[in-house]
Amino acid sequence: MSSAIQVRELRKSYGSHMVLKGLDLQIEKGEIFALLGVNGAGKTTALECMEGLRKYDSGTITVNGKMGIQLQLSSLPAHIKPMEAIKLFAKWNSAKIDYTMLNALGIKEIEKKQYLQLSTGQKRRLQLALALISNPDIIFLDEPTAGLDVEGRLSFHEQIRTLKAQGKTVVLASHDMAEVETLCSRIAILNNGNIVFCGTASELTDKVGKKYFIHIKTQQEDCTFETDNIEDTLISLLCELKQKKIHVSDIKVDRGTLEQHFIEMAGREAE
Amino acid sequence: MNGFLYGVALQCKLDIRSKSLFVTCYLVPLLFFLLMSGIFTSVMPEMRNTLIQSMIVMSVSMGAFVGLPPTLIETYGGDVKNVYKANGVPVCFGLVTMFLSSFVHLMITCIVILLLAPILFDAALPAHLPLFFLALAIYIMVSLSIGSILGLTVKNQAKLTMMAQLVFLPSIMLSGIMFPIDLLPGFLETAGHIFPAFRGYRLMLDHGFHFENLWYLILTFCMAVIICGILLKKQKSK
Repeated sequence: MSSAIQVRELRKSYGSHMVLKGLDLQIEKGEIFALLGVNGAGKTTALECMEGLRKYDSGTITVNGKMGIQLQLSSLPAHIKPMEAIKLFAKWNSAKIDYTMLNALGIKEIEKKQYLQLSTGQKRRLQLALALISNPDIIFLDEPTAGLDVEGRLSFHEQIRTLKAQGKTVVLASHDMAEVETLCSRIAILNNGNIVFCGTASELTDKVGKKYFIHIKTQQEDCTFETDNIEDTLISLLCELKQKKIHVSDIKVDRGTLEQHFIEMAGREAE
Repeated sequence: MNGFLYGVALQCKLDIRSKSLFVTCYLVPLLFFLLMSGIFTSVMPEMRNTLIQSMIVMSVSMGAFVGLPPTLIETYGGDVKNVYKANGVPVCFGLVTMFLSSFVHLMITCIVILLLAPILFDAALPAHLPLFFLALAIYIMVSLSIGSILGLTVKNQAKLTMMAQLVFLPSIMLSGIMFPIDLLPGFLETAGHIFPAFRGYRLMLDHGFHFENLWYLILTFCMAVIICGILLKKQKSK
């Protein structure tokens, strides 16, 4: 597999505040790659530098292929209709309109509405259609499902999987860990201007360590306990509850989500 | 049709859909024309000779200073420009298409005034129509270029309303379109000369197409184009 994007020693400052402190990244062709980080970690800046929309101070970025970009903050003129925007950008890029892709994104259903009349989900679908209009090899999606309902998210995930099946490279910045866990081949965690982790979701879990969460529901309250030793903790908790004659109505054990691992790793790096 | 021509045609359509531009380019100027022309010609019958030029200066000023800038702010003050950049459209595209579209709308309003004024108010038609239209085109372009600076500089609508009035009202009051400028105090008369409306009005009058009126408008236009270029470059290189 050859690389779609290579970033070496990328540095970017806003005044005296250094946002990217020598970022190194390699994204392979055909993978769905996620860039994670807390607010202000530099995800959007890193993406915009890769997209060529933001100047950077030093370092090199090599992008092998045509890019399609869906920005985090984007808008269109209030009175424009979806098909007018699609035709405008298709003409600028001398691209042929792919009506199959537009139908899959449900653009036909909203073609008579003006941009200001579209819901958040419909706007996101239109923005994705615009990003795909020139049939790009690499697609940048900056928080594409922010503000979408469950149905909207699922439909969006389906679109992203279709893109992967077509052999496209997808670079995704997201806050939604469940989304990243389900969709992405690899993830990179950006913290304080550096990549603190780059690998698969299971590699991240292994790196952070095995951690269990025990959720106990009683008549009085709901409690969550965190432990490395599931057997001993569970037995002692149940014994204690029995002694106190507290009735347990539900009990659930899980290994924690990627989100919990991510928060822990970000916190550890910050220390 | 290529992307640029499609963009201009689309912008004309969007301007019609946008109520604010319809109001500032058509509704208010034409209502002002109908109302004020009736008053002016009955109070000062000699105004019939300059009525068309006066009403055109008012209409163009309103469209260019009050109508165009909010549309520009929508693109350049917000996130629309980012979508243009992300999709390979030059950053000047919005400005150029909006400029041309506003030019077309203002020209239509001016032609309506030119056609109605002689019928409704017995106004005198310009003696040399080709020269009149050339002067009108120059004046519209100069006014739109100043409106463009407003739209690219001011970042929010509330500030813009104030700034637009600071340019629009003196243009109307001090240019001599409503009453002779020599009736004004000396400093206001001098201030009136700064606004392009003063020269534009004279350029459109019969026998007014002289270098004396033209040079200032050309200079203003060139300076405005340079300023707009700098402002767009700033938008591009973030």
